[in-house]
Order: sequence, then C-alpha cells, then structure tokens
Amino acid sequence: MDRRKALLKTGFFAGATILMPSMLSLFESCKTETRLDWHPLFFTDVEAKTIAKLVDMILPRTDTPGALDVKSDIFIDKVIAKTYDKEGQDSTRADIAAFNKNCQENYGDIFINLNTEDSTKVLTEAETNSGKFGSGVWGTGVGPQETIGFYRSMKSMAIWAYMTSEEIGKNVLSYDPIPGKYEPCKPLSEVGNKWSLG
Amino acid sequence: MANFNIDAKKEVTYDAIVIGSGISGGWAAKELCEKGLKTLVLERGPIVEHVIDYPTMNLDPWDMELRGGLTPDQKEKHYKAIRSGWIGTDTEHFWADDAANPYTEEKPFLWLRGHQMGGKSLLWGKQTYRWSNLDFEANAKDGHGVDWPIRYKDIEPWYTYVEKFAGISGEALGLPQLPDSHFLPPMELNCVEKHIKSRIEEQFAGRNMIIGRVAHLTQPHNGRGQCQNRNRCSRGCPYGAYFSSNAVTLPPANATGNLTIRPYSIVQSLIYDETKEKATGVRIIDSETNEEIEYSAKIIFVNASTLSTTQILMNSKSNRFENGLGNDSGELGHNLMDHTYRVGAIGKVDGFDDKYYKGRRPNGIYIPRYVNIDEKSKSDKFLRGFGYQGGAYRGGNPANIEAFGADYKDSILKPGGWEMFITGFAECLPYHDNKISLNTAVLDKWGQPTLTINAEFKENEKALNKQIQEDAVEMLTKAGVKDVLGFDNEHPPGYGVHEMGTARMGRDPKTSVLNEFNQVHAAKNVFVTDGACMTSSSCVNPSLTYMALTARAADYAVSELKKLNI
Repeated sequence: MDRRKALLKTGFFAGATILMPSMLSLFESCKTETRLDWHPLFFTDVEAKTIAKLVDMILPRTDTPGALDVKSDIFIDKVIAKTYDKEGQDSTRADIAAFNKNCQENYGDIFINLNTEDSTKVLTEAETNSGKFGSGVWGTGVGPQETIGFYRSMKSMAIWAYMTSEEIGKNVLSYDPIPGKYEPCKPLSEVGNKWSLG
Repeated sequence: MANFNIDAKKEVTYDAIVIGSGISGGWAAKELCEKGLKTLVLERGPIVEHVIDYPTMNLDPWDMELRGGLTPDQKEKHYKAIRSGWIGTDTEHFWADDAANPYTEEKPFLWLRGHQMGGKSLLWGKQTYRWSNLDFEANAKDGHGVDWPIRYKDIEPWYTYVEKFAGISGEALGLPQLPDSHFLPPMELNCVEKHIKSRIEEQFAGRNMIIGRVAHLTQPHNGRGQCQNRNRCSRGCPYGAYFSSNAVTLPPANATGNLTIRPYSIVQSLIYDETKEKATGVRIIDSETNEEIEYSAKIIFVNASTLSTTQILMNSKSNRFENGLGNDSGELGHNLMDHTYRVGAIGKVDGFDDKYYKGRRPNGIYIPRYVNIDEKSKSDKFLRGFGYQGGAYRGGNPANIEAFGADYKDSILKPGGWEMFITGFAECLPYHDNKISLNTAVLDKWGQPTLTINAEFKENEKALNKQIQEDAVEMLTKAGVKDVLGFDNEHPPGYGVHEMGTARMGRDPKTSVLNEFNQVHAAKNVFVTDGACMTSSSCVNPSLTYMALTARAADYAVSELKKLNI
C-alpha cells in the first residue's frame, strides 16, 4: 500500500538471510576442493557448485567484492529452502538439471566441469534465450511479461543477493539510511555508485 | 502498552464507543475524548504503540533473515492480500490474517485489511486531497446513485480543521476541481519530473503535473518530526512524520484521560433498543479468550473500515431491523466502489545521465483530473473522470542487460537509466448490484458470518481506463519519453484500496442509510464515518474526506448529545 516504496522495490523479487562472518571465496575453494565448505539447506553438492560457478561468472571479484565474497550462493540456497514451496523447489531442481543436461549435450560435461571458454559460451547463449523481465509499477509487472528462464531468474537472484548484502549495501553502494533532506537534482558525481536502499 | 488505558474489564458503560482505530476511528476517538466524553475504542487486533511497537522500522535488508522474503507459512496466512504485491517481511505483521478472517469473492475482489491499533493508517499511501463540488454534485447531475446530502461548503471548514492538525504538504494551485488544502511546504519534483511537467503543461492546455499532496510533515508540526526521506513508512515512522492514528490522533485522545482502548475486541453486533429507537451498546468477542462481553454507550461511532463496518451493521439484526441495523432502505451492503488501478504508461527518459537524487521521497507526481470538469473538457465516451499518480526515478532491471562478468558487475553498481510512469485512478459509479452480503456458510475463526463480495467495474470504468491509457501514452510521448509502453492490468476492484460505499449518505431514508451528519437515519445515535458512508467515489483519494466527515460528525454528535436529542 505504500505505493512509492513498492515501486522502488520493482526489479528485485522478494526473498533472503543473515550473513555469517566473512569466509574464503567459495570459487577458490571449488577449484581446490572436491567438497563444499558449507552445508546447503536445499542444494545438493553439485547444485551448490553449479550456482556458485554461475554467480561467480556473472558477478566476479574485481576491485570490489564478487558474488561469492558476499556469499550470494549461500543466500540463494537459504531463500530457496525457506521461502519456496515444494513445487517451486522441485522446479528449481529440475531447472538446474536441465541446465546441466544442455551443457552435457552441447559441451560434453556438466557446467562445473566446463572450461572457461565453454562456460562463457553457455552463459552467452543463455543471455539470449532466458527471457527478459517486463516493466513494473508499484511492485507488480505491467505490460507484456515474458516467461523468465532459469538463467535470467538465477541472475536476478544473484544480483539481489549481492546488492542487499551488508558488505555491498554499506561499503560499495552509496549507503544513506537516514537521508534527512531530499535533494531532487544532485550531480551523479557527488553520489558515486547507486543508492543501496530502495 | 504502558501508556494506554486498556483495562475495560471493570467499566462496561461509556459515553461513547468507537469501533475501530484506523484513520476515521482515530479521529472519532480524539474528537470525542477532547469534548469530554468517556470513550471506549474497540480494536479488533493488538495494541500498536507509536515507535515502541514498530519492530522493523530501522532494519536494513541484511538485518532481516530473508531480506524481505516470506516463508510458505506467511504466504498462506496472507494468501489473499499477497496479490497486492505490498507484503514483505518488514510489514507482514501489520497485514490481517486472511486464513483466520476469510471472505468469499463471487467476482474477484482484493480486500486488504489491517487488524491492529491504527489499522491501515499505518500502511496507507498518504496521498491527501480535498474533494470538490464536482464530486459532491456528480450524482445529482448525471443521475447515478443518490445525491450527496452535503456540498463542499459543508465540509470545507472541517477539511481545514483536520489539515491543520494532521499536517499536509503540497503546493497551492487554485484549481477548482482539486481545492487547495492548508499546506505545509511541498515536497520537490526531481529534475526529470520537472522536465516532463514543463513539456506536458506546454502542450496540453488545462493539464497540470504537480508534486503529490501528502500527509507527510515537511517541517516539524505539533510535536512531531519532519520526514527524513527514508521511505520506510509502512513499518511505522519513528519521527511520527506521516499521519497515522498511532502517531497523531490516539496520543492526544489518550492525553485527555477519557480514552480506554480495548484490544482483541471483535465487534459482533450493535444492540438496538426498540423503545428508545437507539442503539444502546455493542456485543464483542474477545479474540484471545472467546469471551462475549457487552458494552453500552450513549453514542456509537462505527469506523471498522468500509466493508467491516457494513458487516457489523448487517450482523446487527433485531425485530425492528431484520436485515441489519439501519437497513430500512435495502441499500445496506450495496453501491460498493473502488478506484481503478494500475492503468497508464511507462517509458525511458534520455539526457539526464549525470543527474541523480538524494533521499527516498515517499511521494510522487499527481496529475489532477482534466476531463469532464467543464463544458470544454466534456467527454462523449464516459461520465466522471480520472487523475494520475506517478514519478521519475533511476531504475531499470540490471538482470535484463545481456552481459555478465567484470565489466558488467562494475556497470550495475552505477544507477540505471531514468524511467517515468504515470498511472490513473478512475472514478467508479455507484452500482446497486456491486454489493456485499453476509455469508453464514463460511464462518471466521470465531464462528462469525463472513462476507461475500460481488462487485465489478463496468462499461463506464472500462471507458475511463481506455482514455487513461491513451492519454498517458500521448502525454509521455509528447514529453519526449522513449519506448513508451501503455498498460492496463485490468485489476478488479479492491486493488485501489479505496473501497467506498455500502452504507451511503443521502437525503432520503428510503434510498440511503445515513443522513447528512453520518447518522443512521433510523438510529440517530449511531454514526458511520469511514469509507462505508460514501455516496460516490470521485477519482480523488478519499482518506482526507473521511477525516473531515468524522470530525464534523463528532462535533454534531456531541452537540446533539448536549441538547438531549440523542
């Protein structure tokens, strides 16, 4: 009912977790270990590694933290475990299986075992055939809404997980919990990155 | 809880009973208490004390376990209201339990409810506008519904009265169809909104784009703090910067020493005395203990929210009123209205990439009604009119960008492109067959009959929506907005959350439930001043009108009481 607020939420879908103290980058651990160093609530070992590789390729570490640095994969696991109903969970599992089947058929192995070149091809292709989110007004889609495929859906979730993590929300994005005065027309250069709170 | 007198066990007799503590109930409590009446406010849900009971008001996303996500149990609890798209972890506790309080939709209808002290005044959109004679004369002029028993001049002093206390921000424009309030300084348009405003006003004579008029304080007022632009309003505002019963009307009611508020009190019915031709009290069920208790009072204000108020009247059956208290006309439960919702246009705005804003302004733009306001603007396609809300912001969905990796990640840390949308709210005509009825086949958790809702938008509303969308696309396009997308979600009634009617005011007891002072025609000590009383729906947000009608009715009630007329 707070229409303006819901508007600002548009583009993120609801869901997520209290972050635990910082851990090693999971991508690094995936490369060097055969087992996860955390215990998923929902994902199997392979599913967790699939999501970890996916979110790391979408949002890698640069001079700012990457998706794995802020544990986006652990958060996604928790959201699916705690907010999805059985049907949603089953279809997520089926989507990951179908994603891996596609990798297997076209590149000879499941996603986590593909090299960088082939993995990049998989994602580049997924970008073109996973649908796009339509426009939204006050928290609900308006106009035509395409079917959103697994990749776009997971990408959206990864972005949401990343942007609402404490590290990114407080230290990378522009954080201002109590703005006070509204400044309607401010040079972007004086703000820098986008505001973290919507 | 510490500050409010909630001990209603010893005393069962009061001067006044107010059923409900939302926007109108809060005003009734304040006015009656300040005029010296010992007043009992019956609240269906728990006490929500200002600030103390706002558990999520300061939480950042990462402070919440699921950052806004709802568990399957929470989704089940709100299985109807969740369609609104408003409910997240941060406000879930302020939305009613749909499972315990079922209702039946013969046709789709979204009934949003807030079962706690303050009701939906905690959750509302705060858009605050006066109605005009265009609205109060509409039924008389085109013959739909019955004539309002009041005109603008009757309510004008009461608009002034409630505005001065509540604090309404906005800009005075002198528009006859949208009279100015007594304003605190307006909030500001951002640079894209200013740009679009000038393009629209240049090209469309008679159209204005203004900053929304809102019940947010833009400067300290009556001991309350000004808006800090956090936009976390629906969690409860620690500054008391927006109008809610909790922050604004109930504290002064309590300060008089005349207020008792009884939480967990489900009003089952009003008790009618045939010899006195008055209601003598109410029966409640304690929702925690299931205990049934009767309270008596000289006057009763029914402010349970539009549909709940009428539900209580319908459930108040007696020999005199076999079909519900005050229902001599047969109109009780009929003429349900809402505004149409989510129909308009959205697009992208180029040329302001180096501009941004600071602060999360809990407000947007408003385009006042410009059709059917005079001979020149008369439409041959529909009766009545519409207004728009909207706004410009930097948005976009980064997930849609066909890229991934390092450069992509760095790019989405910057704000997205500018977007602008406007979305219309059309007036709904009062149709007798848009109605609610008591359902004894589906009972609530306390064994009480529930409501069946049967309402729909009809041809006139559909014609209005068609015009809303066409005009929205035209205005944005001519203002230079790119990739303009017109939309109409075809939401059924209820989504606008401006439900009105079902116990309408009127001049004639044969065709209406309430008179010009919101008294039940045939039970003069019963007053209804929430949305149920509305005779037509205007296209303008109704809450300010509920406030003004309530203060006016309370003044009249006390004066009649003193004259021993009721």
